[in-house]
This record gives sequence, C-alpha cells and structure tokens, in this order.
Amino acid sequence: MATYTPRQERHPNTLRREHRESLLFALFIGPNLLLFAVFTYWPLLYNIYLSMVRWDFLRPTMTFVGLQNYIDAFSDRRFWNIIWQTATFTICSVGLTLILGLLLALLLNQPLRYRNTARAIVFSPVVMSGAVIAVVWSYIFDPRYGLIDQLLGFIGLDSPNWLADPFWAMPAVIIVYVWKNLGYAVVIYLAGLQNIPRELYDAARVDGAGTWERFWNVTLPGLSPVAFFLSVTSVLTCFQAFDIIRVLTNGGPADATTTLIFHLYELGFVSYDAGKAGVVAIVLFLIMLFLTIVQIRYIERQVTYG
Amino acid sequence: MKRTFTRRELLRLMMVGGGAAVLAACGGQSGQSTSQQTTAPAVVSQPGSKVKITYWGSFSGNLGEAEQAMVKAFNESQNEVEVEYQFQGNYEETAQKFTAALQANTTPDVILLSDVWWFGFYLAGAITALDDLARQVNLDFNDYEPVLLNEGVRKGVHYWIPFARSTPLFYYNKSIWAEAGLPDRAPETWAEFSEWAPKLVKSDGSRAAFGHPNGASYIAWLFQGVVWQFGGQYSLPDFTMTMTDPNTLRAAQFYQDTVLKEKWAVLSPNLNQDFIGGAIASMMASTGALAGIQANATFPVGVGFLPRETNFGCPTGGAGLAIVSRAPAEKQLAAMKYIAFATNPTSAGVWARSTGYMPVRISTKQTPEMIEFFKQNPNFKTAVDQLPKTRAQDAARVFVRNGDQIIGKGLERIIVNGEAPSSVFADVNNELTKAAQPILQDLKAVEG
Repeated sequence: MATYTPRQERHPNTLRREHRESLLFALFIGPNLLLFAVFTYWPLLYNIYLSMVRWDFLRPTMTFVGLQNYIDAFSDRRFWNIIWQTATFTICSVGLTLILGLLLALLLNQPLRYRNTARAIVFSPVVMSGAVIAVVWSYIFDPRYGLIDQLLGFIGLDSPNWLADPFWAMPAVIIVYVWKNLGYAVVIYLAGLQNIPRELYDAARVDGAGTWERFWNVTLPGLSPVAFFLSVTSVLTCFQAFDIIRVLTNGGPADATTTLIFHLYELGFVSYDAGKAGVVAIVLFLIMLFLTIVQIRYIERQVTYG
Repeated sequence: MKRTFTRRELLRLMMVGGGAAVLAACGGQSGQSTSQQTTAPAVVSQPGSKVKITYWGSFSGNLGEAEQAMVKAFNESQNEVEVEYQFQGNYEETAQKFTAALQANTTPDVILLSDVWWFGFYLAGAITALDDLARQVNLDFNDYEPVLLNEGVRKGVHYWIPFARSTPLFYYNKSIWAEAGLPDRAPETWAEFSEWAPKLVKSDGSRAAFGHPNGASYIAWLFQGVVWQFGGQYSLPDFTMTMTDPNTLRAAQFYQDTVLKEKWAVLSPNLNQDFIGGAIASMMASTGALAGIQANATFPVGVGFLPRETNFGCPTGGAGLAIVSRAPAEKQLAAMKYIAFATNPTSAGVWARSTGYMPVRISTKQTPEMIEFFKQNPNFKTAVDQLPKTRAQDAARVFVRNGDQIIGKGLERIIVNGEAPSSVFADVNNELTKAAQPILQDLKAVEG
C-alpha cells in the first residue's frame, strides 16, 4: 500500500539517499578532479606566477618582476615572428591533412583490391615515434643522396637544401607532419563515410544527381561533423608539435622552424629563463583556448549532425 | 566464474591511486630552496665498505665507449669505490638534467660539465670546491696543463678539473687537396685559403671547399677563434660586450662572404658526416672528433693549426669533471678518487689516444706510449702542439647563460638569412648584455 508523503517534508530515507548520491558523485569525480588539480590546474596557476618572476631554475630565490616578462616578449620582434611561423605551420599542416586525408579516405572507401593493406600502410606513420620519423626524413631530405633528390633527378630538378635553407625548412617540417598525421585523418574520415546512410545516395541518384553533386550535397555535409572534430584535434596537436621539429631542424636554420612550443622549450630548458618561458606558455594557452572556443561556437553551428 | 569489482571497491582503488599521485607530485617540490648548500653532509656508510657513486657523462659512439672503458678500468683497479656510469645525452642535455635533479634532489655525485655550463653551476653553489678533497687523494695540480686547469679556478679554488678538453683544428681531405694540386698542409692564413677554395669546390654544387657548423653544433665556439684572428673579441673580462667591435664585425662579414658572396663554404647541420662523405673538403672541428673521423673516413685526413688573419687565435673547449656539493662527504671523496684516476698521466694518455682529446697532464706527453703514438699518428700531435698557443674563451660565450646559443643564432642569421652583421650583432650585443646582468649579480654575491 502506498503512503502519501507531502512534497515539502521529504522522507528521511529520500534525504539520506540524496545525500548519499551527492557523496557518491563527489567520490566518482574526486579522483579525476584530484589528478587534474595536481597535473593541470596547479601547474597552470603556478605557471601564471612563474611568468611574473625572473628565475633560472638554479637560484634559491625568484625575483618578482610583475609584467616585465610580458613587456619584453611583446616588444621582441623575434616573438612575433615565431607566432607568425606557428600560424603558418598550423594552417598549412591542418589544411593539408584535412584535404589530403579526405581524398585518400574517398579512395580507400572504394571497393579496391588490397584495400585493407593500403589502409594499414597509410595509418602506420601515426603509431611511429616522431623522433624516429624525423631521423629517417633527415636522410630523405638530404640534398646530395636523399630520396627526394633522386626522385627530382628523374625530372631533371635539383633538390633544395631542405633543412639548411630557411625558405625550405618550414615546408620540410610541414611535409613530415602531414605525412605522419594523415593516416589518423583518413581513418576518422573513413568512419564518417561509413556512417552516411546509403539511402541518401540512392535518393540523390533517383533525383538525377551526378557523382560530383552527390559528393557535394551528400558526402561533404555528412562528413562535416568528422571534419570539425579533426580540425579541432589537428589544430591542438599542431600547436603542441615538438618531437619532429626538435630532431629534424632543432628550430633552425636561423629560427626558421621555431614554433611557440619549441620557443617555450628553448627559453625554459636551453636559456633557463623560467619567467619568459612562462609567458610563452600563457600565450600558447590563451591562443588554444580562444581557438577552441571559436571552433565550438561558430564552426559547430554550420556542422550537420546526422 | 569471474569475480567483478563492485562499484565500492573500484572507488576505493581509485582513491588510493589518486592519493599516490598526489604524494608523488609533492615529492618533487621539496628541493626548491636547497641549491645554495655547500657544506658536506655526513658520512653515509660503514668504514671499509665499498662506496658507490653515480657519474653523469655526455659521450656517445666511440667517445662513449672510451668513457665507459675508463670507468671500468677504475672499478677494476681498486676495491673502495664503485662508479656507476650514466649517460645523460649531450652537454646541454646533461646540464638540463642536472638542473632538474637539483630541484628534485636526485643529483649524481660526479658530473661531466662542458666549458659553457660549469660556471653557472658554480655560481649556484651546486658544485663543490675540490682543493681539500684533492689533498686527501694526493692529487698534484702542478702536473695539469695550466691553460686547461686554470679555467676551472675561481678565487684560487679549483672547481672544474679538465678531462675531455679540446681545441679546434683545421681538418682537410688530403685526396681532394691532391686533386686540386694544393700543398699537403692546412692553409696558413684565411687569405691563402680564399685563393685555394675555388679549386676545391665542385661546380655542380655537390662539394663545398669548407663547412661551418650550425648554432646547435657550437658555431660560436669555432667563431671565437676566428674573431680573435681578426683582432676582435666577444666581450671584455668585465662582461662588457664587444660584438659590435669593428674587427668582430669584420670576422662576421668574412663568414657571411664565404657562404653568400664567394660561395665556397656552406652551413651544415651534420658537419662531420659531410666531411667524411666528401661533401665538404675542409672544416674547423674539435680535436675530440679526430679518432672518430679517422676511423670512418675513406680518404687520408689532414689536420693543421687554425689559419691566421691579423693574429693567431684558438680557444680551448670541451668538458671537465666536477663534484656535486650535495653529495655526502664520503661520496665526494670517492668521486675525487675517480677524478684523480681518470686524469692521471696514464689514463689521460689512454683517453687522448682513443679519442683525440688532449692529454690534460703535462707528463703524459713524455710517456713512452704517447711518444710512440705521436710518431705513428702525427695528426694527434698537432692538437698538443697547438695547445700552448690557445687561450680561454671570452666571458660572453662561457660565462653568460646561453651566451653560446645567443651568438650561434646570430651567426645563423648572418650566414643563412644574409642579414647585415652590424644589425644582427647589435641585437646579439643587447641580448648578451641583458643575459649577463643576473650573472654579474650572482658573481658579486658569490665572490664579492
């Protein structure tokens, strides 16, 4: 038999249950929150403090300098140059990865022979270590005996001195990054392609749409959530790209491939300038925060979800 | 049947895991205010037992093998001390790890530090005075090459003992030299080499007459000698920067011209490989590379003194050994025993013969093995003959934190980007002056 309980005065059991549930909630998120607090939030706050001191990691005391590190950084031509290079690197790498990845995914979505083998090969660079890839590519780029030089030789061209020429070094780094990350984009695109309902294609065909129109009106809108996801993750990965640059060019020649994250490493662990490195870390954080918000706010609106 | 976790158990496990992570994170924070400690702490083990010490070094390849052979020989030579050798990456990486280790309180006992790093750790109080320890193991400082030993002395106290010390040499490919009809020797002056160079270049671009290293491979070390040859310098002993001195600029202009105007030199990220592969006919490089290059080159290798311009100029370089302040007294003494062994006249000879680094002891040159070795390998003797003409580097490169890389990056801008030396070195001068400020403050605090 059901007993009537007025809404206002809750049964002690319910109260206890609610209490228990919120405790349970705290218990569930607690460990993760703790890890985030220790490894993400605390370093972030501490870094804000570090960006306002002068310290070389060795002295027993830090000297508080207020915003001086920020003023120094923003009035440094080199700093702006590095931001510009980071933008070039990110836009080119992400753009090429998204476009080439789409083309390859469309190809590998066709019922071809050895399709699975081809997919595995395309994906394999993703799981290789960046440092190893960089060493191998430094041989491929060698202007005298490298593979690219040999290939260009067939069409009568000389290889540029990729890694020693400030004009070609950045394209070289971009090529390697796109090569490494392409496989990931292809796999995600393939998953996206398989999620587009066949009926849409059938319907389009009945309406008399050609290959191009089917691609433009069915495939592309169907892929837009995937492309959006890829653009966000690729931009974030690019901003954190370090290993290949470190091994392939070490940021050179003459700073030509120094990106923000590499600059951060240089300031922190080569120059031992904790304050200036802190400033770069904050700038990097703000840029990524801004880009993520923009991507979520504006681009997501135009994405068609199935 | 498999037993599954209940939610409660899982939660408990997660709490334990999270707690452990927090503890681990707290452990790393404790070393923040300790780097000034210089007094030797207490004895760590019973008398008579073997003292184990950790040695951090920076050599790989044939140099690494030679370094490990030295440690092995020491461990087998006596029963009191056992050295554990730990490779830490190149000079820069070793210094990075040492800096981190000072924060985390996980320092080694004895460490190899390069010419540009030991001073910073000295200022921070991270490496200890060696004179008392040296007395206890009867180490005779008088037998060390003075030009090398004195670099590690501050206010009459020894902090940094020469071990893998080098100078730059002029390396040339004798086959290419013969092909070009040049005399079998290094050029005496840069003017002479400028005349020779066009004969050494291959017109299809596959071979340059000369190679410069990049900033990361210490172009600022080799350029130090060239700057002196041109009558300039990086800085004065009081840390006044002189990068815009007309003669310093003249040397920079010369470097730029070799690559961009006369086009007989290139800047290469892998200089030694290019030399071995015949892509460059000559270069300046460390004596420490000699054994490796001779072993790998398929052509006869020639070496000579650096070319002159208005003067002769050649810096010393390389690395030395230091003992960590924070190590317990007994380990410090054990570390000193290792240093005494690694730099004794016999070991210094073994090391020099297997690497190309200079014998750091005066008496090593007179040992029969060394006399015989020089007879068989005259190239190795060149470095030793050049030694009396070398001098310690300018403060801007070795005492200013990151000075080497600041100058190196400036040179890359001049050589690779073709920027005007006067404007680039004006920037470099400013940057060095700024970077020197905290060093000067520390120096005042430490040395008065």
